[in-house]
Amino acid sequence: MKKIRFYIALYAAKLSQFLLKILGRNATYFPGKIAIRLCKDFLKHITPPKTVIAVTGTNGKTTVSNLISSILTENGYSITNNSFGSNVQAGIISALIEDTTLCGKPKKDIAILEVDERSSLLIYPQMAPDYLVCNNIMRDSLKRNAHTEFISYIINSALPASTKLILNADDIIAATLGPNNKQKTYFGLDAEKPEANTPQHIRDIVYCPSCGALLESEYVRYNHIGRHYCPNCDFQSPTPDYLITNIDRTNNTFTIRHDSDSETYTLINDNIVNVYNFGAVIALLHEIGLSYEQISKGFSQSKIVKTRFETIQSGNTNITMLMAKGQNPIACARCYDYVARSQVENKGLVIIVDDLDDNINNSESTCWLYDCDYTALKDPSIKQIIFGGPRCKDHVLRAQLAGVDAEKISICENATKAAGMIDLTKCQNVFVLHELYRAADAKAAKEMLISMGRGEL
Amino acid sequence: MVIEVLFNEVCNLYGDGQNVTYLQATLPQAEFIFTALTDEPYFLCNTPDMIYIGSMSESTQRRVIEKLLPYKSRILELIDQNVPILATGNAGEIFCKRINYVTEKIMVEALNLFDINVETDLFDRFNGKVLGSLDDLTIVGFRSQFSFLYGDNSNQYFVKCMRGVGINRSSNLEGLRKNNLICTQILGPILPLNPLFCEYFIGLTGISATAAFKESAMAAYKQRIKEFNDPKVPF
Repeated sequence: MKKIRFYIALYAAKLSQFLLKILGRNATYFPGKIAIRLCKDFLKHITPPKTVIAVTGTNGKTTVSNLISSILTENGYSITNNSFGSNVQAGIISALIEDTTLCGKPKKDIAILEVDERSSLLIYPQMAPDYLVCNNIMRDSLKRNAHTEFISYIINSALPASTKLILNADDIIAATLGPNNKQKTYFGLDAEKPEANTPQHIRDIVYCPSCGALLESEYVRYNHIGRHYCPNCDFQSPTPDYLITNIDRTNNTFTIRHDSDSETYTLINDNIVNVYNFGAVIALLHEIGLSYEQISKGFSQSKIVKTRFETIQSGNTNITMLMAKGQNPIACARCYDYVARSQVENKGLVIIVDDLDDNINNSESTCWLYDCDYTALKDPSIKQIIFGGPRCKDHVLRAQLAGVDAEKISICENATKAAGMIDLTKCQNVFVLHELYRAADAKAAKEMLISMGRGEL
Repeated sequence: MVIEVLFNEVCNLYGDGQNVTYLQATLPQAEFIFTALTDEPYFLCNTPDMIYIGSMSESTQRRVIEKLLPYKSRILELIDQNVPILATGNAGEIFCKRINYVTEKIMVEALNLFDINVETDLFDRFNGKVLGSLDDLTIVGFRSQFSFLYGDNSNQYFVKCMRGVGINRSSNLEGLRKNNLICTQILGPILPLNPLFCEYFIGLTGISATAAFKESAMAAYKQRIKEFNDPKVPF
């Protein structure tokens, strides 16, 4: 029998959710906070949907959980998710409360919960997920996440042994999560293997965690993403159960092989980090019982949300809006790399990645800029770079240290106006890399570039 | 000029590795020797002009201590010879007496070059900033750490903090210093963030050099000093 305290917390949280909605306010965090205040182990007492899927890891959580949710919804499943709210404990509880009856019963079939890695200890011991998807574990905000060993330690300390893990075989740190979990499914990418093992700016696993010998690599895509083995013991990247064997950028499709089946899906986005996200989604959906037809139908109708990736044509200018998380060196470096690899010439970049909160009456830690690989910005197709925001001088120094020609760099302390400095006579393809919480600056940049493209400014 | 970089393949967290890149840009003629954790250190049979070691994970820290313990007397010789050694983030902790890893319940005897003990708690992350003075130099930097140091460093500190905490929350004396061995819990790109300190540190070798990209570095440095002096900016 549930505790009385649980019901008091549930009703109070539901009331607050109702009132917040009437007031037109966001009800995706505060109700959960109330529930925890009134009943510390609220999550332990709430009855979750029949299937609980947790999505965690450094990069790609939101994209993966959004895609899983949209494909399941497309196939008639009813879903609880926290895609519009916070991925910490209060956000997850708010999402569950929203879809819970006054009797404390779930209204939906499946919960898809995006879970912040640091919140693992507050969530999994109270609500064991049936499935946990982890795409990667990489350097992230150094203030919160310290380093990858710490994040692995946190997740492993919290993870119930009964949870079935869906892991990226090409991320040897994520792949070794859950030493006590017997059920593991791996996905990986075999297509577009790099020809050479180029030195990586940073790599978070160098020595074998089993015997301490120097790991060797078949290949490395970026950072520690690739295939590795220990020459001294049997430690190695696991064999993927779901393997992406081909990426067809001309026809916008990709092929994935599992068991003896070969399946082709719509390539929603050609950024390699998203191809890994798609692998995670397909592996999970197959494991919970969806057929190729069901997944494929959902994929063909899905999109990466516009706040993360959007392309716009304005006059002769092609504008690409890319979300590049500040304080997250790998996510940002992957965006730089994506821009450099894009098969167009005459590129201009507007980079607005300073942390908003850390720069209001504060001075943001810029250590992460030095973990971020800026060398892609040297690419000759990039003709102009504008660093916008209060830390623009730090970006200039960082870029120069990476060998970027200072001649093509400009700065604008007012991030809102940075895009206005792009010279469209030199740059027909403009990429705006913006921080998640700098939506207002991104919007201003987009509108300014659209007007400039039309010749209005 | 020979600069030995210790265990850069694993001691490079939080941007610390780029201190080496900044030294390379500042001293293009210098020879950099990168000693891996599996190699014998160059300093064992040679005397480098400078040694650098950066931040690492806690498990790596234990491995580094194990690696360096047999070379303690040689390290003491280098310190006595005034070889400049810079240890950033938690690298300097390896030179302390012992490290208590509270969360993992492990106690490790370190190199014991300073009568200072370290407490490391994975559930107590401290984030902060430093605005400090080293002689007439202003030092700025960032801190993100699981550990604090305990003991008397009043005669052997790196900088006196005008703002921010020192070796622990009740100290205003940051870091440890013995001759030219400088240990600071400031992490990340301390050299590019402090071009004048970079020149000072290189100067300890007897060579004078101008910090790389000095104009850009000074512009960012001056802005940071201004911000760090702003009473609204929390430490």
